[in-house]
Amino acid sequence: MLAIPILKLGRVLLVNVNVELDDEVATRLQNDVLTAIERSEAEGVVIDISGLEVVDSYVARILAETGQMTKLMGTRAVVVGMRPEVAATLTRMGYVMGGVRTALNLEEGLLLLGYKLQRV
Amino acid sequence: MALLKLDEAELKSRRAFYEIDDADLERLASLRPFAEKWGDSFVEDFYKLLLSHPETRAFLTDPELVRRLKKLQANYFLGLFTGRLDMAYVQDRLRVGMAHERIGLPPKFYIGAYRRYLQLVHDRLASEVPPNEARAAFSSILKMVSFDKSLAIDTYIAANLETLGRHQQAIRELSTPVIRVHESVLLLPLVGAVDSVRAQQIMESVLTRVVEEQARVVIIDIAGVPVVDTKVADNLIKTTAAVSLLGAKTILTGISAQIARTIVQLGVDISSMHTQAKLADGIELALSLAGKSITKRA
Amino acid sequence: MGEEILSREEMPIAREDDVVLVRRRVRAIAAEQKLDSFATAAVTTATSELTRNVWVHGGGGSAVVEQIRSAEGRVGLRVTFRDRGPGIADIERVLRGGYSTAKSMGLGLSGSRRLVDELTIDSEVGVGTIVTFVKWRAF
Repeated sequence: MLAIPILKLGRVLLVNVNVELDDEVATRLQNDVLTAIERSEAEGVVIDISGLEVVDSYVARILAETGQMTKLMGTRAVVVGMRPEVAATLTRMGYVMGGVRTALNLEEGLLLLGYKLQRV
Repeated sequence: MALLKLDEAELKSRRAFYEIDDADLERLASLRPFAEKWGDSFVEDFYKLLLSHPETRAFLTDPELVRRLKKLQANYFLGLFTGRLDMAYVQDRLRVGMAHERIGLPPKFYIGAYRRYLQLVHDRLASEVPPNEARAAFSSILKMVSFDKSLAIDTYIAANLETLGRHQQAIRELSTPVIRVHESVLLLPLVGAVDSVRAQQIMESVLTRVVEEQARVVIIDIAGVPVVDTKVADNLIKTTAAVSLLGAKTILTGISAQIARTIVQLGVDISSMHTQAKLADGIELALSLAGKSITKRA
Repeated sequence: MGEEILSREEMPIAREDDVVLVRRRVRAIAAEQKLDSFATAAVTTATSELTRNVWVHGGGGSAVVEQIRSAEGRVGLRVTFRDRGPGIADIERVLRGGYSTAKSMGLGLSGSRRLVDELTIDSEVGVGTIVTFVKWRAF
């Protein structure tokens, strides 16, 4: 099973979720992110879910938990790139994703974490 | 949308109205040899009529299609003489009706076909069977064919309703225009009544456009919505919740004194939503949320 | 009542991987039926929830995916989930989130119910559970 790559962009970790998540992969991802934060002294984590067509209650919970866990570790997480269908489905199910902030895209996510993209 | 419901109760009721009793069904079963003997020639004769008429000939240009239809017709004809009239029979008849509706054959020809069959059956009965029996036989067949005709008409109506439904969907989409007011700001002026179907479609349109345009703020103006009840309010809240899941914000504008009163009295909690009475104020707020502002030229 | 079954497929839910496989198959069939993206996400998510319930709470089972057509000619997708698990004593209570141990199962059921047109639950303690949902294609 391939792990989902975690990239480092300065003091921010970038996670691009572009594989379908089953419970095992999702849980492993959560562990990998927390381990990476521990190792890298990251100040923020951006989790890009634009590749996910389906986010069920389990995955939504993993994402929310990851947000809560990173906060406890003194880091902040933002989930970006949610698809319209995913937002509609989660809302219809009555699921409220507390514990993690969301933003439209990577740039917005970085802004939320206090980073701005600038040319040098 | 009232689509037809064909269940056991309806079947019983319709059978009674068409006066199809067990004696009819027995008679039809006893006529099966007659049907088997003459069925194919009836079908041939019937297709001669279709091919001789220019409008119907146009549907029958494909020989393979004609071959299949003839087989369908032959089976259909025999089906009248099973001596059974149950849900399976009804389902079967509906399927045949739908098959013809799907190839686009207008009801006038489908119904006209029945006339032709009845004519052929009548003439053949007159020459094959003693007069009294012929009368009784024809009466039973007529009842069964009339019953089938009613099913055929039902399938055409249902199909038309479906088309209407699809058109309504298109109309609904056109009546929910999402406008790009500024980079990162979308505006949805809602006009007209919002039922639950439209509400769902509104949410989907808004979410799709927010992601497409990567808009940070959506303004939903409800000044044009005549009635804002709990359902409408709940739907607006749902849409706002979904938009915030995406990471964007919603501003509700066009809130009249009447609507404000209704919302508070209904006890609907919209504390999480940005609201403004006037659209213009909503736009200013939206721009500021998006990090912009309108300033006067020096 | 009075429906025509256009196609039927049965899939086992016996391994962790099966949750994804069943989900993928339902999504593929939804695409074949030309359901729009929102309806597809709805059935796929409901399928994911209910398949997981079978796997996690039911000890494994099966999913039957059918394409159906109503007597009025409307096309739909019907998925039936079966397991021989412990069964649910009080369905309404589970749906309300009453049992703390079965909370996720309840969330899966109540959430799924809101995503589809019809959802029926048949369960007997000590025997098993059957959950069926139907999603009709909008015009």
